[in-house]
Amino acid sequence: MPLVSTNRLHKFFGTNHVLRGIKLDVEEGEVVTIVGRSGSGKSTLLRTLNGLESIDDGVIEVDGATLEVDRADASALRNLRQKVGMVFQQFNLFPHLSAGQNVMLAPQVVKRTPKKEAEEIARRMLERVGLAEKFDAFPDQLSGGQQQRVAIARALAMSPRVLLCDEITSALDPELVNEVLGVVRQLAGEGMTLIMVTHEMRFAREVSDKLVFMHEGKIHESGHPQAMFAKPATAEFASFIGSLN
Amino acid sequence: MMTFSLWDIVRNLLIGGALTLLLSLVAFALGGATGLLVLFARIGKWRAPRALAQMHIELFQGTPLLLQLFTLFFGLSLFGLDVPAWLAAGLGLTLFTSAFLAEIWRGCVEAVPRGQWEASACLAMTYWEQMRHVILPQAMRLSIAPTVGFAVQVVKGTAVTSIIGFAELTKTGSMIANATFQPFLVYSLVALGYFILCYPLSRYAQALERSFHAAR
Repeated sequence: MPLVSTNRLHKFFGTNHVLRGIKLDVEEGEVVTIVGRSGSGKSTLLRTLNGLESIDDGVIEVDGATLEVDRADASALRNLRQKVGMVFQQFNLFPHLSAGQNVMLAPQVVKRTPKKEAEEIARRMLERVGLAEKFDAFPDQLSGGQQQRVAIARALAMSPRVLLCDEITSALDPELVNEVLGVVRQLAGEGMTLIMVTHEMRFAREVSDKLVFMHEGKIHESGHPQAMFAKPATAEFASFIGSLN
Repeated sequence: MMTFSLWDIVRNLLIGGALTLLLSLVAFALGGATGLLVLFARIGKWRAPRALAQMHIELFQGTPLLLQLFTLFFGLSLFGLDVPAWLAAGLGLTLFTSAFLAEIWRGCVEAVPRGQWEASACLAMTYWEQMRHVILPQAMRLSIAPTVGFAVQVVKGTAVTSIIGFAELTKTGSMIANATFQPFLVYSLVALGYFILCYPLSRYAQALERSFHAAR
């Protein structure tokens, strides 16, 4: 059984039909990259997977937690979100808390983890992203790359079953991109289930088990990245990769 | 004819000034507490409290404080309620303050970027957990300077309660002026009294604003 699965997913923004019946299955430990032109619905799809965007039809299932159109109440959302971590383009660290406190907050508040234990978790997670010595630094004292790594640590501290990455290197200076990608590569190597939207095509080809190309709100083509890049099955995907070079 | 020494005047004004200070503090404390409730109703999910809060804000922001006091003072007595001046003054200023503070604070809550809501939602926090741990600490930081600034308005607003006969600084001043026939001296002292109360607050607000701009 897949860890994450969506079926008949539909989403409208007003009259704009942005997701048109998405069926996506992600196995445990799989790394899935969603690509597509801007406006193709890729970020929206990612954001529906933890309820940041409501859906207008269909069902989302993550490790037994189900979200349906008419049954998306607060407790269903909370249940789902404990299994799904997310990292954003703009980091969204809490600026009034230190790096360590950023990571500790959710375990303490949501999981009622005692402070001492939460601190241990936070130190371990920061070490995992190579920032053990930044525990007491505030977000505005960190570089963009470091902030993004703290954001990853913050998501990992809730021990999610799957991590969503929404263009997490797009706001970074070029020289800082690799330190963040390095952390993602390491997570993929450890068997973390990852679903990401990215413009880093080379990276996507290297780490992904599955590539999903979205076009006009649908999954237009998907498969193994090497095979897809070598031999695009659709004209749209061919034109998309053509436009990258 | 009776004569008044300068000390007689100042002594009485000090008593009035103390009442002005007390009224300001009460109005600010109760108005702040009420304002917080109005704020949560105004930004909350439930429709009825939201509409009520909005009405409250529009009513008290959209009418002069003087008429609010008249309405409380004279209006409630129509219903057989005997409202003493101090009660009408305290209640009126509290309601007035709550409306403005709720609106100031709403601006501060809404100034916290949407990404902060999203990030905390993704960590499975509930609305109140988000508020308590993520949104309000940041909004509070933003709100300090405008809140202290509004406190100055409250102090000056207390002068209006003299019209319904509450013997604060302005009312005391006008009584003394009538008795001494020295309105210029007396009202200058009254103005000085307000200045002494308000100036430190203004400076404090400025200092806070500077320190927060420097910090972030």
